[in-house]
Amino acid sequence: MVSEKKFEVHVPSVLGCEKVAMDFAASVARTINFPPDRVEDLKTAVAEACTNAIEHGNKLDASTKVGITLTVADGRLQVDVEDEGRGIRDVPSPDIDEKIAGTSNPRGWGIFLIDSLMDEVKFESTPEGKNVVKMIIHLER
Amino acid sequence: MEKTPQIGLRLQGDVSVIDIKGDVTPIAGPLIEAAYREATSSGAKKILFVFAHDGYINSGGIAILIGILSESKKHAQTIRITGLSAHFQKIFGMVGLTKYAQIHSSERPPWPPSSA
Repeated sequence: MVSEKKFEVHVPSVLGCEKVAMDFAASVARTINFPPDRVEDLKTAVAEACTNAIEHGNKLDASTKVGITLTVADGRLQVDVEDEGRGIRDVPSPDIDEKIAGTSNPRGWGIFLIDSLMDEVKFESTPEGKNVVKMIIHLER
Repeated sequence: MEKTPQIGLRLQGDVSVIDIKGDVTPIAGPLIEAAYREATSSGAKKILFVFAHDGYINSGGIAILIGILSESKKHAQTIRITGLSAHFQKIFGMVGLTKYAQIHSSERPPWPPSSA
């Protein structure tokens, strides 16, 4: 039987609160002996997912919260970031040359970074109609 | 909620050095852009961004830097970066920023010869 450990925190939809979630995730990762470079990857991915949830999912409505759940089980760490938005359907492929040339918006790197830094990323909806980003790191990598 | 970063501008020979202490997020944007504009209005052709090694940089902060790099091309400026942690050096490489601004370990990186 696989033992599962679950850690949860909720932060208000206020920019800056993503750092609370980031530090929380880093603390959990360190307790399970993540190598320092993977802790840094996790911090960036969690911060970007929470920033998206605050800005786009919950539209900066401070009365709403972003839920962050970390599950350690079966050789992997899964981070779920949940908001009340409709979520995204496609992972964008931002182009630095277009952005430097001024032909596309310089923003739009968050999902790209999450996808680049995590081993697996899924964008799903909960039965209650909430949006959840599931990010997975394999511990043995 | 976010702390305002401290941005400084100083001259090191013919290099304009922009020191960034604190988080690089959209909150920092107007301050970083103001320092860059001040350097540019002084005729700077070589600009060095010095980041704090323990600073946090998010995708919104990366967008600010992209905007500045885009502007620097119009002014024929050379941008160099130093002070980044290994993680953010990796992030800058992933994004492609290193195509437009070299990252160095020293605050006195090599520069292309000045044009007359």
